[in-house]
Amino acid sequence: MKTLQFLLAIWKANLQSALEYRVSFLSQMIGMMVNNFIYFAIWIIFFDRFKDVRGWGVGDMYITFGILASAFGLVSILFGNAFMLSDVIAKGRLDYYLSLPKPVLLHAISSRMVASGVGDFFYGFLSYALSGYFSWDGLLRYVLALLLAATVFAAFLILTQSLAFWFGMMNNFSALALNAMLTFGIYPITLFDNYAKIILFTLIPAALMGAIPAEFIRAFTWQSLSQMLIGAIGFIGLAVFVFNRGLKRYESGSAIQVEV
Amino acid sequence: MKTVSKYWSIFQITLINSLAYPGELIGRSLMIIPFMWIFYQLWKVTFAAAGAEVISGLTLRDTLWYLMLAETIELGRPPIARTLSENVKDGSIAYILNKPYDFLWYQFSAAMGETIFRAALNALFGGLTVWTLVGAPNHPQGFWIALPAILGAWILHFCVNAMIGLSAFIVEDVSAFTWIYQKLAFIFGGMLIPLDFYPNWLQAIAKALPFASAIYGPARLFVTPTLELLINVMSLQIVWILVLSFTLAFIYRRGLTQLTVNGG
Repeated sequence: MKTLQFLLAIWKANLQSALEYRVSFLSQMIGMMVNNFIYFAIWIIFFDRFKDVRGWGVGDMYITFGILASAFGLVSILFGNAFMLSDVIAKGRLDYYLSLPKPVLLHAISSRMVASGVGDFFYGFLSYALSGYFSWDGLLRYVLALLLAATVFAAFLILTQSLAFWFGMMNNFSALALNAMLTFGIYPITLFDNYAKIILFTLIPAALMGAIPAEFIRAFTWQSLSQMLIGAIGFIGLAVFVFNRGLKRYESGSAIQVEV
Repeated sequence: MKTVSKYWSIFQITLINSLAYPGELIGRSLMIIPFMWIFYQLWKVTFAAAGAEVISGLTLRDTLWYLMLAETIELGRPPIARTLSENVKDGSIAYILNKPYDFLWYQFSAAMGETIFRAALNALFGGLTVWTLVGAPNHPQGFWIALPAILGAWILHFCVNAMIGLSAFIVEDVSAFTWIYQKLAFIFGGMLIPLDFYPNWLQAIAKALPFASAIYGPARLFVTPTLELLINVMSLQIVWILVLSFTLAFIYRRGLTQLTVNGG
């Protein structure tokens, strides 16, 4: 309960800080929505010409893109520093979080908000509404799938970025992993053979962020729900474990730093 | 002559600088591999579903080599808009303004220096991936024919991105413009789908815009290197380079009148 109160306080402070530059905040939010819309137009053109990819049509793309955008947005809003975690670790900036009586990982990843994430978050809902699959019970499934997909995504970020405890600066690898996750998440899962699908459920769990949640939103099945639940619990457990193991290896840079 | 050698030196310095961190350079270029693999999956299925060897004049192999060059052009270019907007926002533009060189030519020389190895490595990794997946390009000589158009593409990218960066003279944050420009380049430049696969009305619009000159033109020239296409691509590119470079120079002069540098 105390942790939740702490998180709420930090999220409130992040929001107030982002709203300090109101024009910038709004331009990033609206800009990201326009950006997503233009990107999605490519898929509209593609499906207009080629109709479907092994049974995967434009409606499926709307939902997949939507849930992926919302999950990405939610993590950007609530845990925006997860994108920079490897930098924080490699530059010895964890000292600040270690010196305070709060959970280190939660504090570190929640201490920044990415304003453009708000645009992603809302665009996802809009994309779902336009998919042709919209229903009120589907919306409830959308929210549940969003929470689980965001958990998998946050866990993936923590996992890949925590490798900085062992390998130092990981900016390129982190960017590569993030791009792979988003790219594979957006494309129709029907493109991939069984070997590739194993990778998409494990090494790069893009299927748990895009295709499986989309399947669950379209129609409830115990299979897709259990896949998402097991994926979310498994990945977040693994991410926390790896982070804590890495933390034992952490050496302070003794640098003087100011956290703003 | 002295003027040219000045900017040539800036180009050389950034070129050498870009090799200072080879791990960083290689790591960034590896991104093209998953992109090309996923494009292969998508287009292999699409060609099979269409039951055609050739779609709108392109085979699967042409399509993949086309996309490889389009990605190389896009991934090879440095974040010019961000650099310029930071120069304007943090006031470091003042340090360049009082030096004996032109701000825009300085940025252009530096950007080109940064581009060469980035693009070369992207072409190398992307080319190896595509070669493994679909075999050699049908017209390997197309690369040399497309080379002037690739250089023209980077000049166009520079002009547009520099304009976006300089908009920091007026707005607080330029990142939204950068995303939107990138996505417009995706859609109207034919970065994910060759423009030839678009409906005719959209093709006509897209091919007349500068995005097509910056991506589609050079990439299409690479896979179908004909004299007619070369003339078409280069003449349209030259028109857009002239229009955009004059616009950039105008925006820069106007922007300077709004610049206020506090302290140092």
